[in-house]
Amino acid sequence: MSTSISLSSEPKHTVAELEDLAYELREKLLYLCGNYEGAVHIGGDLSVADILTVLYHYGLNVDPTDIANPNRDRFILSKGHAAVCMYISMAMRGFFEFDDIVATYGQLGSAYGMHPCKVQLRGVEASTGSLGHGLPIAVGMAKSARQKGEKHRVFCVLGDGETGEGSIWEAAMAARSAQLGNLVAFVDRNHQLMTGFSEDRVVLEPYLGKWASFGWNTVSVDGHNMNDLVNIIDNLPSSDSTRPTVVICETIKGKGVDFMERNIAWHAGSLGAADLERAMAALESTRKVVSA
Amino acid sequence: MPVTFTFGEWLSARSVIGSTLAELGGEYDNLWTITPEIGATLGEFRSLYPDRFVDVGIAEQVSIGLAAGLAYEGNIPVVSGMLPFLSMRALEQIRSDVCYPNLPVKIIGTHGGLVGNGGSTHYAVEDLALMCALTNMTVTSIADPLMAGDILRQSMKMSGPIYIRLGVGKSDMVLYEPGQHDIQIGKGIVARDGYDATIFTHGTTVAQALEAAETLGALGHSIRVIDMFTLKPIDADLIERCASETGGRFVVLEDHLAYGGLASRIADVIADRGIHLTAFERLGIPQVYAGFGGDEELRDKYGYGLTSTISAIMRVLAAK
Repeated sequence: MSTSISLSSEPKHTVAELEDLAYELREKLLYLCGNYEGAVHIGGDLSVADILTVLYHYGLNVDPTDIANPNRDRFILSKGHAAVCMYISMAMRGFFEFDDIVATYGQLGSAYGMHPCKVQLRGVEASTGSLGHGLPIAVGMAKSARQKGEKHRVFCVLGDGETGEGSIWEAAMAARSAQLGNLVAFVDRNHQLMTGFSEDRVVLEPYLGKWASFGWNTVSVDGHNMNDLVNIIDNLPSSDSTRPTVVICETIKGKGVDFMERNIAWHAGSLGAADLERAMAALESTRKVVSA
Repeated sequence: MPVTFTFGEWLSARSVIGSTLAELGGEYDNLWTITPEIGATLGEFRSLYPDRFVDVGIAEQVSIGLAAGLAYEGNIPVVSGMLPFLSMRALEQIRSDVCYPNLPVKIIGTHGGLVGNGGSTHYAVEDLALMCALTNMTVTSIADPLMAGDILRQSMKMSGPIYIRLGVGKSDMVLYEPGQHDIQIGKGIVARDGYDATIFTHGTTVAQALEAAETLGALGHSIRVIDMFTLKPIDADLIERCASETGGRFVVLEDHLAYGGLASRIADVIADRGIHLTAFERLGIPQVYAGFGGDEELRDKYGYGLTSTISAIMRVLAAK
């Protein structure tokens, strides 16, 4: 009765398989970015790609064929501008068809848009996009689970930039006060805002210490190291525990495409045919390095 | 003839709301109450259902965000607080976390209008304008504590959000005898019938409008009083009927900015339907940040007290 119920029909992936999935996710992100006439938040999509891969293909207990199952883990994308990365991760997990995303993204009447909408897209847990809103919603979901005696977890992915919003710290205090050990936040700490580097605008450091001082269980990890991310998932405290957990993922904005990495120009953008080819080649070169 | 009397502190809107919530908590096992540290009225609920009560401390934004999270999970959250803060500090959460996904979050609070003598930081004077602008939001303003309990009960069946504005509990009035009116969200109440002019009002100024109508009644004028407690959706048919039945003579009285509240809602209906009026006057808070004083003193000072109301009605009666 006390253990959570496994919904997943997918076998547990190995680290190597997860790395391949993350590579495929990046390929698909670039493909979409190269085939959509408008701007895509490609920098933050690439920084969070490994985190979403480990969640959708390893950490989250979800079943794409049974999206309302009360025992499923909840996932809230607080950094809603990485919606494309979430849509494609969900497609790769079996929720949607990748071809549908590419065919309709951003078009009139499409359920796939710049920021996720729960009303329009089944399988999305909450409408987000305005920064600083996801964690408070996740706190409400975790609180509800506790009251109902449900054992699932609530996962929330934040950008480090949005933790400049006061509402995040209101939620951090509320989660600690309510002893929500079933709440797990992943912060995509890519050190960049839209137009500059975060520490030049607002000093977030000591970052882990901030969360620790709010009473959270804290852990720092290389957000592009799949082995470490898997290790984090494997060692999460029980959902019955009394402290919420934050995983500070040190990441690189634009990760995987050398000319985008840590480049302010690539917060959002679109790729023409030539740039797409260049980006794909850059991505491929990272794979060769990894496998060599 | 409606009965207008004060039941006193023990039957204030706050305590009726508190008792109603406690009752509803027994009927609905998914009803929650949440407060940003303004939870005195929730004491009974809290003691009966501690696992469905959350006080987040002085943190309006998370009170609404958390309520949205609860609602996503199939719960009915009621957020209780002071409206100047809920309606503005948490406005974006109300708009994007509650109204956008159309979640059944109830927002109820006090200090609507120049009440409570807290000064302009503590008066919600633009809240109805803000809430009426939000897609999916139902907007109400109620002074009668028994009626507020009725509306809360009705709101349990609603699939979307509702905003319930109260004055300050202690001075609220019981305006209607139980069962006297069929009270339904979206329908105005004919609080007093009349045929020479109509005064539309809501919340704390309904009692004042009734008193003005009574005073003028003694002088032979027949004044209709409409308690338009639902500002959104507005009862447009009733507005149109009043125009034809009371000579197109309207006064709108409210404890809210004179522009942006009920008067503006009614003016929209008049324009949209091409209703022909003889006279239209609006009484409410001008573009000032009001200072301190008693509720009645402030209404008098800013031109929407009893004397001003009677004068406005006299003017529309005299209009050609």
